[in-house]
Amino acid sequence: MSINVENVVVEYASRRVLNGIDLEIDAGEFVSIVGETGCGKSTLLRLILAEEHPTEGRVQVQGRERSRPDRTCGYVPQRYSLFPDKTVLANVAFGLEVTSGFWNRNSREFREEALRYLRHTGLSEADAKKYPHQLSGGMQQRVAIAQALIMKPPVLLMDEAFSALDPGTRRGMQRLMKELWRESGTTVVFVTHNTREAVCLGTRVIALVKDGERGSSVALDLEVPHLDFDSDEEELTRLIARVESASVKMDRPASMAVPVIS
Amino acid sequence: MSFFRIDTQPARIPAWVLSWFLFAAGITAYFYAAEQRHRENPDDRVMPTVTQMVRAFQDAAAKPAEGQEVQEAPQSLIQRVRGSMLATDTLATARRFLISVALLFPAVLLGLHMAMFPYMGAFFLRFFQFFDKIVALSLLPILFIAFGIDELSKIMLIVIGVAPTIILDTVNLTKSVPREQIVKGFTLGAGDFAITYRIVLKQIFPRVLNSIRLNLKAVMLFLFAGEMIASTDGLAYRIALLRRHMGMDTILPYALWVALLLFAVDLGMSTLNKKLHPWFQE
Ligand SMILES: Nc1ncnc2c1ncn2[C@@H]1O[C@H](COP(=O)(O)OP(=O)(O)O)[C@@H](O)[C@H]1O
Ligand SMILES: [Mg+2]
Repeated sequence: MSINVENVVVEYASRRVLNGIDLEIDAGEFVSIVGETGCGKSTLLRLILAEEHPTEGRVQVQGRERSRPDRTCGYVPQRYSLFPDKTVLANVAFGLEVTSGFWNRNSREFREEALRYLRHTGLSEADAKKYPHQLSGGMQQRVAIAQALIMKPPVLLMDEAFSALDPGTRRGMQRLMKELWRESGTTVVFVTHNTREAVCLGTRVIALVKDGERGSSVALDLEVPHLDFDSDEEELTRLIARVESASVKMDRPASMAVPVIS
Repeated sequence: MSFFRIDTQPARIPAWVLSWFLFAAGITAYFYAAEQRHRENPDDRVMPTVTQMVRAFQDAAAKPAEGQEVQEAPQSLIQRVRGSMLATDTLATARRFLISVALLFPAVLLGLHMAMFPYMGAFFLRFFQFFDKIVALSLLPILFIAFGIDELSKIMLIVIGVAPTIILDTVNLTKSVPREQIVKGFTLGAGDFAITYRIVLKQIFPRVLNSIRLNLKAVMLFLFAGEMIASTDGLAYRIALLRRHMGMDTILPYALWVALLLFAVDLGMSTLNKKLHPWFQE
C-alpha cells in the first residue's frame, strides 16, 4: 500500500472542508482526483504531502505518518514550482546536490544526470542554461517534472500541473506524463478539474464531491475503466459525461459511483 | 496634442527636452534671481552667483580647510586634492556611511531567520515592531552618553534608525516567498537551513538590495544629523559650520555634491543588482 487515507476530516475555522475521506492507493497506480474548484483537492494533496495535518483521521504514505514534507513525495504544483534564481539545469540538479555531502556539490555527475532527465522530458541543452522565466509554461512544467523525478520519489503529487497550459501543449504533457509514469513505476496522484484529463490519464478516477449544503467533501471512487489517449472518442465522451454528472452532485444514480471503502 | 493621452509614446527628442526642462528652468531661475539680488546688493550672501560657487568649490577641492596646518612643501595636484577640505570631508562621511550600510546586512539575516523560524519570530518580531516606532533622534542624548560623542554613537544612531526597517522589510519579503517553494525544497530533500539560505535568501536577495537602496536616504539623514550635532569632520559638519557665517557659496555646491554621490551609489547598487541577478524580474 502506497498511500492510506483513513477517515480524514479537515476543518478550517468553522468550515469543514473534507468530511471523512477514505482512500487507499496501491504502489504504481495513477490516480486522478477530480472535483469542482474549492472542494478540497489541494487540501487532500497537502495532507498526503504532510504539509498539513488532518483535524481527525490519519494519513500514511509508505506505511508512515510524517510530520512534514520529505522525499517520500515529489511535488509538482501549478505555479511557483521552479526556483527563479537558478538555471534550468541547477533547478533539476538541486535535489541531488542538496542531499549530497558538502564536498560533492557541483559535481559533474549530478549535472550530467540532470541533463539526462531534461532531455528525457523534452528539453535541449540550450534550454538547460536558461532561467525559468525565459521558458514557456509548458517547458517550465517539464523542468518541474524532471526536477521531481530525478529524486526517484515513491509518490509523485501533481496539483493542477497542466491547468495553465494551452490545449495543444497540455495534450503533449499528458502523453509525456503517462510515459514517464510507465517507465518510473512511481505512484502518481494527479489533481485536476478537467474531467477528460482525469479519465485519459488515471488508472483510477476519484471524485471529491460536496455532500449536502455545508459543502464538505467526501471521496467517491468512480469505477471507470482505464482508458488511453487513443481509445474510442465516443466511449471517452460517454465516460466523461458519466464522471461529470457523478462528481457534480451527490444525488446521482446509485450505479455510477460507489464510495471508496476497503 | 497627446499630452493627456495614456496610450501615447513621446518621440525621442521631445522626451529628451521634457526630461531636462525642469533642470534647465531651475538653473535659469536661480541665475536670474541671484543676478537681481547682486545688482541690488553686491555683498549678498544668500544667493551666491555661479562664479562665486565655482570658485568656492574649486577652493574646497584644492585647499585644506581653514585652521588645518598647511604643509609648506610644494605639492602636486593629486596631493593637494587629497588633502583638500572636500576630500577629507567626503572621506569622513563615506567611511561612516559604508560602515553603517555594512551593518545593515546582519539585520537582513536577522529578518530572514525571524520569518523562517517561528520561534525566532516569536522572540523578536513584536520587539522590533515597537522598536521601529521609536524616533531614533530622540535617543541621541542617550547614545552620546552610552557610546561617547565620537564615531560609535553616530553609527549607532544610523543603525538604530534604519535597521528595524530593514529587519521588518526582510521579514515581509521572506514571508512573500510562495509556500510552494519551501514545500518543494522539503520534497527534494533540503533541510531547514538549505531552504533558508539556498532557496529563500537567494531569491529575495535582489529585493533586499532594493530595500536597502530605498533606505540609503534614511541612512544619509541620520548620518547628517549625527555629523551636524557632534562631529569635527564630514560633509554635514562642514555645512553646519559654514551656515554660521552664511557660506552659501560652499553650502550649495556641497548639497549638490552629496546628491550626486548618493545618486552614484544608488546607480551603482542598481547596476550591481542587475549584474548579479540576471534572472531578477522587477
Ligand atoms: N488555510 C486555509 N484556511 C482556511 N480555509 C482554507 C485554507 N485552505 C483552503 N481553505 C478552504 O478550503 C476549501 C478547499 O480548498 P482547496 O483544497 O484549495 O480546493 P481545490 O484545490 O479543490 O480548489 C476552499 O473553500 C478554501 O477556501
Ligand atoms: Mg487547488
